[in-house]
Amino acid sequence: MLDESPQSPETPESVSLEDAVEVRECDTEASVADADAVDASEESVSKSETARRAFLTQVLAGTIGVVVGLVPVLSGLIFFLDPLIRGERQSGDSRDAVGKDAEGYIKLPVTRSLLPSDGTPQQVTVEDDLVDAWNKFPGVPIGSVWLLRSESDEVSAFSTVCPHLGCAVEFRGAQSDFYCPCHLSTFRLDGSKDNPIPPRDMDSLRVKPDTGEEIWVQFKSFRGGISEKVEI
Amino acid sequence: MIRSLLAWLDDRTGYAGFLHEALYERVPGGARWRYVWGSTLVFTFSMQMITGFFLWTAYSPSATTAWESVYYIENVMTFGSVVRGLHHFTAQLMIVLMAIHLVQVIIDGAYKAPREVNFWLGLVLLQIVLGLSLTGYLLPWDQKGYYATQVSTKIMGNAPLIGQQAQELIQGGPQYGHHTLTRFFALHAGLLPASLIAFLGLHLYVFRRHGLTVKDPNHAPETTFWPDQVLKDGIACLAVLLLVLGLAIWKGAELSAPANPSENYAAARPEWYFLFLFRFLKFEFVEHYGLAFGSIYVPGALMAVVAAMPLIGRHVIGHKFNVAFMWSLTLGIGVLTLMAFYEDAGDEDHQAAIQEAHRDAERIKELASGPNRIPVTGAVTLLREDPFTQGPRLFAKHCKGCHRYDGHDGRGRLIYSGAADGSLVRAEATAADLGQFGTAAWMQAVVVDYSKHFAPLKNSEWFKNASGEDVLNPDESEMADWSGDAESLGSEENQENVSALVAFLVSQAGHNTRSGQAVTGDKSVVDRGRTLAVEGDWSGAINGTSCVDCHSTIGESFAAVPDDDSDGYPNLSGYGSSAWLKSFLSKPSAGQHYGEKNQMPGYAKRMTPSEMELLVRWLTGDYVVTKLNPYPFRSMPPVRSVSTE
Repeated sequence: MLDESPQSPETPESVSLEDAVEVRECDTEASVADADAVDASEESVSKSETARRAFLTQVLAGTIGVVVGLVPVLSGLIFFLDPLIRGERQSGDSRDAVGKDAEGYIKLPVTRSLLPSDGTPQQVTVEDDLVDAWNKFPGVPIGSVWLLRSESDEVSAFSTVCPHLGCAVEFRGAQSDFYCPCHLSTFRLDGSKDNPIPPRDMDSLRVKPDTGEEIWVQFKSFRGGISEKVEI
Repeated sequence: MIRSLLAWLDDRTGYAGFLHEALYERVPGGARWRYVWGSTLVFTFSMQMITGFFLWTAYSPSATTAWESVYYIENVMTFGSVVRGLHHFTAQLMIVLMAIHLVQVIIDGAYKAPREVNFWLGLVLLQIVLGLSLTGYLLPWDQKGYYATQVSTKIMGNAPLIGQQAQELIQGGPQYGHHTLTRFFALHAGLLPASLIAFLGLHLYVFRRHGLTVKDPNHAPETTFWPDQVLKDGIACLAVLLLVLGLAIWKGAELSAPANPSENYAAARPEWYFLFLFRFLKFEFVEHYGLAFGSIYVPGALMAVVAAMPLIGRHVIGHKFNVAFMWSLTLGIGVLTLMAFYEDAGDEDHQAAIQEAHRDAERIKELASGPNRIPVTGAVTLLREDPFTQGPRLFAKHCKGCHRYDGHDGRGRLIYSGAADGSLVRAEATAADLGQFGTAAWMQAVVVDYSKHFAPLKNSEWFKNASGEDVLNPDESEMADWSGDAESLGSEENQENVSALVAFLVSQAGHNTRSGQAVTGDKSVVDRGRTLAVEGDWSGAINGTSCVDCHSTIGESFAAVPDDDSDGYPNLSGYGSSAWLKSFLSKPSAGQHYGEKNQMPGYAKRMTPSEMELLVRWLTGDYVVTKLNPYPFRSMPPVRSVSTE
């Protein structure tokens, strides 16, 4: 019987389907070399022809195997990368909510004179349209801010999200400072950090100037754990 | 370097021997195309695992989020329609491939000793895959899947002894709801695939133990699985992939309207590969023996025969019987499937229902992609509160008894009544066709062709029975005389005047066009029309006759006139507007409308206020802009009718 299979079971390189593309080159060199060495004298033409065919079969089988495997995997991966590809924001673009202007300032449900005049921070809820995938929730609470009114009637606003790792920063009346209960970051009332735990000062938010009694704030989120203030 | 690493790994795991075992399986008689079916099944299953996992990352199983998340996957997310399409079509192809694999095994007698157990393992796999199809069909929670699966679970409820309990357990309660989805999903993505992997492992292990069932060892020189058979398998898998990829890209997986238990879904059918069973259940003799007989005992008995094939095949004629049985079963399934397709194709009602289902599916896409997206109550509320969707249904429910809409019942179906000989004839309308209500065409017809426009009234019983009584008469009334004045109103000189009056009336109705724009018209023309209506500045004999002579409030915005303040002429202030229409529908017999001559029932108590709102908004074009066509006039005669008019 003719040995039609130069890629005999004894070939040292075991080939898995996935490795086929990578391995097949040295594989072939080896088998072609074998064929040349052993069968140089007899029927070398037909032998090398057989080896060439077997090689082609392997290349083809391996390639097809890779292709049929890759198509579903790649389609799925692209689908999985959807959040990065589309980059949809949860809120921000929409201006349907009452009290949001073109620059993204949101009107807060509090007036200037209602804030304590001695500079005691006041936590105020922020409402906006929330977009969550297929749903849209019009005018729902999306977070809160710390508001402080200075003696000169200036209002400053801070994000309640700790710049360290994102817990909620609280106000401590006794110590008259901001304090994060998770990892014990503390901040002074002007937002500057008071111990080395947080990487940066509290994130101040822009307050719209000249709005009289009304208070409008640009509500933003920032990346945690880094010393720079980077908007998300 | 790599070699020594691989040697190290082999020493610890023995992977090389395993791979060798896997790749260098003996293939006596050479690689053949007839061996590819099992491999394509492994491939399709892998495909389902991969695409299924990724769909899982975006699917949300609950009655108010399932359809919504699938909509989002299909229409918004990157490559979502491709991944879902691959999953959808591969699932169907898997059924086909499994049938081919089974047929191949039976023909080749591959179930015979020592392969009986593997045959049974294969049958278990078949059941698991059918279970995956059934559970997967419900997950999008669309009308199609919802109603088709209802049938499956009801059949389950008809099983003897524990049917009722089994049905409630799989549904998570007596009715479909959140827990139906969570349970189906747990089965579809958890238990069933895990069982499939386990049984597939056993199936492959036993297969390798006994080797291929070789039809003809002398067909070609013996070879090994890799690479010869792998190449053939690979090409077959590539063909499978190209087929499903093509279907996914160019056809796309269907997503019908969100499930709505209160909305009948007349287009309900099982997936095409279950159509034979659906058709079988419709035979009278099957129905005669009850649902359990047709849907459980008969299929169960047929499966039992298939399962017994290895035992039957021991005898000399056993194998011949098996093959004959298999072919008759295939033939029966084929014939029943074709019958179901053929009958549905000729069933006007079913075709109309399919068309309506497509319309709803397209419409919900328009609504869900709007700036307000989908409310938390679910997409089904968008359709429930959409005049464009509900208006036609309300018209068909309440109005089609007398009126028509572009000749049909609002939903595109013609209206028939039984004739004496038992055949069906087109029922004549007994009131105006409202398809053009409030448009220029309608106003034009009322003004210049009053008698013809309201001619359907003459078909009604009350009109035919009215002997000399004072009823609404399209032919004999002051309006008919004025409108029918061909020499004056129809004269050359008055053409522009008529157009102006029509433009004015259209502006009074204030309907929206299909692009969502309010119909306003050229202001100078509308003003000219108003002057005509109020002052009667016509040419010819009708000069000086104005609308306001009789319809004293025309041109004013609609305000309900007290009944005792009526003057015997219909109040045409804001004629055709939604305020006018609502008042008219609520009480057409009010003094300000048709008064004592009225024959139309009032609808204030016959429909809820929200229903009337939807109907009126539909009739006045007040809904989210649509690109969809209105229901077409269906001229196809019904197959069951002996004769048409």
